[in-house]
Amino acid sequence: MSALRDKVENFLYKEARLMDENRYLEWAGLYADECLYWIPCNEEDYDPAKHVSMLYADNNLLKSHALRLNEGKAFAQQPKSRMRRIVSNIEIDGDEGDEEIGVFANFTVTEIRKHEQRVHSGRSEYKLVSENGSFRIKYKKINLVSIDEAQDNVTFLL
Amino acid sequence: MATGNGRLIDYDALVREDAVHGDVYLRQDIFDEEMKRIYQRGWVYIGHQSEIPDPGDFKRSWLGLQPVIFSRDKAGKYHVLFNRCTHRAASICQEDWGNTTGFRCEYHGWLFRTDGELAAVPYADAYGDNFDKSRLNLRRPPRVDEYRGFVFASMSETGLSLTEHISGPAREQIDYFCDLSPEGEILVQCGATKLAYDGNWKLQMENTIDGYHPNFTHQSFFSSIERITGSKPGIFKGDSLSEVRDLGMGHTNIDTRAYNRADPAVKARLDMMQQTSWGKKYYDDLVEAHGKERAEDVLTVGGTHMNIFPNLCVLGQQVRTIRPISPDRTEVFLRPSLLKGAPDEINTMRIRQYEAFYSPHGGGIHDDVEMFNRVSEGLRCTIDPWLIFQRGLHRETVDEDGVRIGQCTDETSQRGQWRHWKTVMQEEINL
Ligand code: FES
Ligand SMILES: [Fe+2]
Repeated sequence: MSALRDKVENFLYKEARLMDENRYLEWAGLYADECLYWIPCNEEDYDPAKHVSMLYADNNLLKSHALRLNEGKAFAQQPKSRMRRIVSNIEIDGDEGDEEIGVFANFTVTEIRKHEQRVHSGRSEYKLVSENGSFRIKYKKINLVSIDEAQDNVTFLL
Repeated sequence: MATGNGRLIDYDALVREDAVHGDVYLRQDIFDEEMKRIYQRGWVYIGHQSEIPDPGDFKRSWLGLQPVIFSRDKAGKYHVLFNRCTHRAASICQEDWGNTTGFRCEYHGWLFRTDGELAAVPYADAYGDNFDKSRLNLRRPPRVDEYRGFVFASMSETGLSLTEHISGPAREQIDYFCDLSPEGEILVQCGATKLAYDGNWKLQMENTIDGYHPNFTHQSFFSSIERITGSKPGIFKGDSLSEVRDLGMGHTNIDTRAYNRADPAVKARLDMMQQTSWGKKYYDDLVEAHGKERAEDVLTVGGTHMNIFPNLCVLGQQVRTIRPISPDRTEVFLRPSLLKGAPDEINTMRIRQYEAFYSPHGGGIHDDVEMFNRVSEGLRCTIDPWLIFQRGLHRETVDEDGVRIGQCTDETSQRGQWRHWKTVMQEEINL
């Protein structure tokens, strides 16, 4: 296993843990100051200036999103979702020492809220920038399996 | 009293002027009767013309529980067709939307054109010489009509026309929404966010025009605004100039005209928009299209926030459709719209503003949905089955068009919906 792969895996696992544990502000801190966080809707690829998304956020909006959830008044997360997710099928596009690398990973999150269990899966595409021996997220795009479904409540972190 | 499934349902005992019995959200027999009376006789929203712009375009929709295809034929005319093969009932359209030259039933191969005509039957000779294919075209609702691109269907041959159903005060609100476009047309062409909940469809209907809940249900959203602007908006306070209105026929709206016209922040925002080249162009084009006075009013009012009974909500940037599935299951499709002829910057801004509140990860709508689920849980307590819709009853006024008006936190709008619901459910008709 390469050192780069080790580093990437560690980073993705940490991100997953922060999301699973609803640690909103720490999670938001993983993102670079200049970033884009995108969850497409209906279809996987389109011009987001012309089609709606489930989320299309720069760093400001992402912080606002995290602060709103963190405040405890977002009632769709009161009570909060309890979750654990598996991150796998990791593919890395880049080499040790690159300023920026591309990463793809699949995830499956098992979520329980108010005694109902749901499973959500998807594939995430990242652009990670090196910082102090680890990374920050410059770009994350999440293509959900349920990209075009009527969903009851997906207000937890993805 | 009216009959439903051979059993008497006493609607007078379920809907009072100031309160509603919890059974109206729960009972299967009432739901069944709603499907017959409201969704199979009255006008039901199917889709917007702009969703199927080109010949061959289609999308799936519903008339209550019945699946339909909203399609545009070769000549460019739109149709509402039941998604049911006239041979042995298989659904013929499987995709939610797309473009096609025809609908082939894959069970035994019957082929229908996009206007519903039965075009081909395999091995047709077995049906004999007198077989008349033209009697087996796809079935369709007897009446289909539109207002400003919003297409409705009715299963009743007779009854109020769509113009009578959506009367002046309701049309005025739709006009505010569409006139934001310099060409007077909205385009429902930028996708849909979709949600579902364990609860009755009328909970969404009541909530869309509920001016009482935002400062409570949406605390987290208003906190976000406060973090950015330094203050919470006063639009939904108990002393706001905003109103709720019962427009008749079950149509209702939250009318923020008076509030917006008096709010210096709205004026400031419009002035700021004109500092950009695209904002200036949009303003100029709107003045060109509607005249200065109307254009400025349309921009100040900023669209509408309304329900067209029973299943269409038009608000903010969006066109929303309610799909009842069962007494305790509902889907809602929310489609942001674009303004035809407006600069791209304006339309992209509309999409982003929509997402901020209404998308699955946005800051608002899922707090509403959480409340629908909570109401549904509470409804299981039958010790006191009444839901109180009394707020502001004593101070309601009626204008010259017969529109009932209350302060925006009043329940005038829900009372209007329930009054109409009861009328429809009690109509003397043969089901
Ligand atoms: S059911 Fe459609 S062809 Fe037989
Ligand atoms: Fe709401």
